Amino acid sequence: MGGVKNFVNLCSHIQNASKARLGLTSIAHSKHRLAVLLAMQRAGLISFVTRGGSTPPDPAKLATYEPPPLTTANIAKQRLWFGLKYVNDAPVIGSITNITTSKKIWTANLKQLEKLTRGFDCNYQKGLDLGECLFVFTSRGTLESREAIEKKVGGMLLCRVSP
Amino acid sequence: MSVVRPARCLLTRRLVTASQPAAPRCSAPFHSSSPLAKRRPRFKNIRAVEMGLISPEKVEEFSKENFPAYNPEEMEILRHTFTPEQMAALEAGEAAVDLKDITLQGRIRRDPYQLNHLDDFSNIHPIVDKRPREIEQPLHPESKFMNETEHVEHLENYLQSMIPRDVNFDNMTAQEAEQILNTRIDFNMKSAEYFEEASTLLGHPSVKSNAMAPALGKKIEGIAGMYKPPIDPADEGLDDEGIYQNLKKKTGLTVRQILDVRSKILVTRLVHNQTRLGKVRSVWIQAIAGNGDGRLGVGEAKSTEAQVAVLKAKLLAIQNLQPVRRYEERTIYGTVEAKVGATIVKIESRPPGFGLRASHRLFEIFRAAGIHDIAAKMPRGRNPMNSVKACVEALRNQKDPNEIAIGRGRKLVDLRNVYYGGNVM
Repeated sequence: MGGVKNFVNLCSHIQNASKARLGLTSIAHSKHRLAVLLAMQRAGLISFVTRGGSTPPDPAKLATYEPPPLTTANIAKQRLWFGLKYVNDAPVIGSITNITTSKKIWTANLKQLEKLTRGFDCNYQKGLDLGECLFVFTSRGTLESREAIEKKVGGMLLCRVSP
Repeated sequence: MSVVRPARCLLTRRLVTASQPAAPRCSAPFHSSSPLAKRRPRFKNIRAVEMGLISPEKVEEFSKENFPAYNPEEMEILRHTFTPEQMAALEAGEAAVDLKDITLQGRIRRDPYQLNHLDDFSNIHPIVDKRPREIEQPLHPESKFMNETEHVEHLENYLQSMIPRDVNFDNMTAQEAEQILNTRIDFNMKSAEYFEEASTLLGHPSVKSNAMAPALGKKIEGIAGMYKPPIDPADEGLDDEGIYQNLKKKTGLTVRQILDVRSKILVTRLVHNQTRLGKVRSVWIQAIAGNGDGRLGVGEAKSTEAQVAVLKAKLLAIQNLQPVRRYEERTIYGTVEAKVGATIVKIESRPPGFGLRASHRLFEIFRAAGIHDIAAKMPRGRNPMNSVKACVEALRNQKDPNEIAIGRGRKLVDLRNVYYGGNVM
């Protein structure tokens, strides 16, 4: 699981950027990170996510922005640019805690995931609280826990996002 | 060297300077900038003479207006008061003083020994002036102490004077008469007055046996009617001492509403300030107030007097009443944690009927705020003061579900509410 370490870095980076009240930030490109960020965008935690070079895309032209084609020559320099959200001077993402680390992989099957999402403690994990999200790496892709339950899959517990 | 020479030199110089007009000490300028023109006032001054204020006619007019002569009626009153010799002296004095002098020379004092207020000493001001001493009449040479029979007679007269004149006691039974007397006369006061006040000397009734100074009356001259007690008729007589008036102004609550707010002392600490004169002991109080329906306030106060501290803390708590977010008006939203010092208070929402499972101080806070189902934990320190502070902070730190929904641009649904079709209360 080479992606886990990259993913843990993503968690701390988002939390740091949120606390610093950044509007736009970037992290080195990887397919796992992209999958998590897309799941976060679907959950409404970040405003957008796009691949780009070392300079950020123009925020005014984001809707029509086309990232450069991915080639073996430029893939090492590609970054994921994403926008953070704030409401009433408070970040939408208050804290992110990763559950799975490269040292210990935590998983939850469908039954356990259902319990956790309803707010009950299960499998040594605390149940979800008000406004919390749990991201799961499943066979159907990286999903928010509610999406995973909809698709009837369990998987590896990646991180928990609190308001 | 002769001593005469320098003396002569000095003398000559002196003579020379005396004969010549005095030259300026130093004519050399001290700085290069040109000297300022002589400052002139912005507005032309007008002299009193030019305005005609001190013309002889004006002076006379002012004197007549302000220092009028006695009219015949006033003279009659004076004649009644003073002896003819005194009157003659008074008239001579009046004639001797020129009114013009009073007008021109009389002025408001500016010397260091002036009074703090303007006064012509014609009136006695009860606050500023000393109470005038009563003029003691000299004892009559023929007055003497009463003997036994005279005492009895005196007492009899005193008792006679107490009988009300407007009641006809004829054809009345003894019981009826006694009833009337009991209602009309305060015998306790009268007997005290007899023993304390009445004179024991014959022929000198003004001498009283009481050495006490007369008490201040209820209507003191110069003060009566000036200071009204701050009693608001809207308070329904609940706040005659004016304790809640300040709070009433600050909060806009009525006294009845203020009294209805439940307040409770949660923490009392005895604190000491070590000074060079010794320890100054004070009481520090932390109180909470709540209406039992979603409003909560905390007040902290310190005083050397415990009662003062309690009152201050309670009033502050009522002043600080603020709404607390409640889920279904019985519990909180989710799990909240707050930390003050080493004390962490963690409160968690619970289903209906769970009750308040919290330590006694937190229990009181939840009860005041109108929360009925909650679980509270203090995993670390349990300092009384910090636990109260942290608990209130936790209650205020609750997340607003609406704000979360707006921030994420998603619809948040209260599942319990939907499941029970809104019949959750």
